Amino acid sequence: MRTRAGIGLMAAVLAGVLAPADPLGAAENKKLLIITADAGDYILCAGGTIAGMIEQGASAHLVRVTNDDKDSWNLSPEETAQRTRQQSERAAKILGIAKVTSLGYRAGELGGVSPTELRDRLMFYIRLDRPDVLIIPNPYAHYVEVLDRFYTGQAGEEARRAAALENFQPPFAIAGLSTHITPELYYYAQPVDPRRREPESTPTFAPQPKQIDIGAQFDKKVRAAQALETIHFSLAMRIKERIESTGRRLPLLDTVDRAAVNKLVEINVGKLAQIAAEGTSLRRAEEFLYAGVEYQIPAKYRK
Amino acid sequence: MKLHLLVTAAAALSAAPLPRGKIPPGKVVLVIQAHHDDHTTDYGMGGLIARLVDSGFEAWFVRASNDEKDGSHGYPHNDMINRRESEEATRILGMKGVHSLNWRNDYMDSIPILELRAQLILLIRRYRPDVVLGHDPWGHYDRNPDHRKVAWALAEASWMAGLANVHPEHLESGLKPHRVPCLFFKARVDYGRGHEPNVAIELNQDQVRRKMRAYSAHRNVYASPAMARAVRQQLAAEGLRIDEIEDMTDEQAAVAFEEWYMEWISRKRGRENGLTFAEVYWFVDEFDHLPGLKSYIESAARGPQ
Repeated sequence: MRTRAGIGLMAAVLAGVLAPADPLGAAENKKLLIITADAGDYILCAGGTIAGMIEQGASAHLVRVTNDDKDSWNLSPEETAQRTRQQSERAAKILGIAKVTSLGYRAGELGGVSPTELRDRLMFYIRLDRPDVLIIPNPYAHYVEVLDRFYTGQAGEEARRAAALENFQPPFAIAGLSTHITPELYYYAQPVDPRRREPESTPTFAPQPKQIDIGAQFDKKVRAAQALETIHFSLAMRIKERIESTGRRLPLLDTVDRAAVNKLVEINVGKLAQIAAEGTSLRRAEEFLYAGVEYQIPAKYRK
Repeated sequence: MKLHLLVTAAAALSAAPLPRGKIPPGKVVLVIQAHHDDHTTDYGMGGLIARLVDSGFEAWFVRASNDEKDGSHGYPHNDMINRRESEEATRILGMKGVHSLNWRNDYMDSIPILELRAQLILLIRRYRPDVVLGHDPWGHYDRNPDHRKVAWALAEASWMAGLANVHPEHLESGLKPHRVPCLFFKARVDYGRGHEPNVAIELNQDQVRRKMRAYSAHRNVYASPAMARAVRQQLAAEGLRIDEIEDMTDEQAAVAFEEWYMEWISRKRGRENGLTFAEVYWFVDEFDHLPGLKSYIESAARGPQ
């Protein structure tokens, strides 16, 4: 059985090798499966790239793992979850994402969820959607304070592997969800890890840094981020609270209204795009670790 | 070629002195660690704690485990002795006291992280620290399960304590949400690539002295007279002597060795960073979690800080 699965894996990977080169511009007809822990993270890290791929003809499905019930200002968890769900769907629509699935885990509590359960739920969608591209939080990014992103990234990475092997979750196959190998994998994270662009200690099977121009999608990304009104109002209020508690003042947040929050979001998205573009000739970018077909086949076989 | 240059540049940078860390503004520091001695180990944080206290901070130590395994007296005795010595070490450093959570020592891998995190969130809301000190949750190769667990719980508790929808029951007791603005993380710098300090904290002679004494206060686990005897035998076998320990008992000599070691490591970290004495940390500043807004806030905010 293991051998059969292995042959299947190799065959599919080789099929990928024989496929034409695959710059972002050739995203036509590709299926994207985007996994995010919370409503905002994937937009800030990958929203422009996703929008760009969709503009090129890709279709996308977003799986949001938590219900974002914690992050608000003066709202109950229930109200927060409901509002953020609606806003998350609106944001996804702005980017062109056709379908949004919310798994509904309580935010900040993935540390208490069985990793296998989460992996298998993500694997379900990989087998159902049969994506060409999987976009997940990078579980190896250091100093990302929201550990839900770590748990989600780790589960997403494992789900990709498990989805390709028939001995994982036999009931899935019985229900018609056959194995699937996702050829391309993007890891995303906000740029808090100082070593995020350093080469790994070994280049074998190590994803490579990839910076993608989002100049044409920047406005769309800003609007998608601004759609997350509850989270960003909360962010603005927390910044204001901290600033004022230390005897300072941030003029932009003298009055925290929609215009001020939207401006704050635009500044945030703009600076992140600038940081991601560092080291390139690009003005605005997003940065990933990318594991494409080359990642999956050692150089000696590719020759 | 490009890659080679990058790697060379990175290596050169890693050898460069670290920026000199500042003591953040504030009044309260919580030191949250797994074990009775983790606030005084050679790789931190006794010197920094002493410096924070000297800067006017009220300092509290949260010990997550019961330390029953550490020492040679059997479980309940170790627990009691280690707690007492931990209290003595905090006194030497000028701290206010120790809160023990009493999770079973070296068995913390399997405890529910959300339960531990809830305890830390409660304590953070109670003390409202401006600074928290702990193990680096991203450090590599730390074999100690308790270090890992507490570091991870702390990493989330430090910001989740600021959200009213996290453990809303706390608010009913009068506590309020509080996000920890600044963190110092420590880990062994010789344990692989995971922990890369970004600041060197300068220490003065007296802070190093207190660090040395706080460390050697843990007699149950350090400063073993047998170690001093072994060193004496080794020296004798090689025809060497250390004048300073000639008139000391083995117990006194063992304490002296431990304290010299702490001075040596503080001096070494200082020398590496252009200072006389230092400790090195990964420092997280108040807006580091917002890489897209940090520089804007710093440039646009008006007033002191």
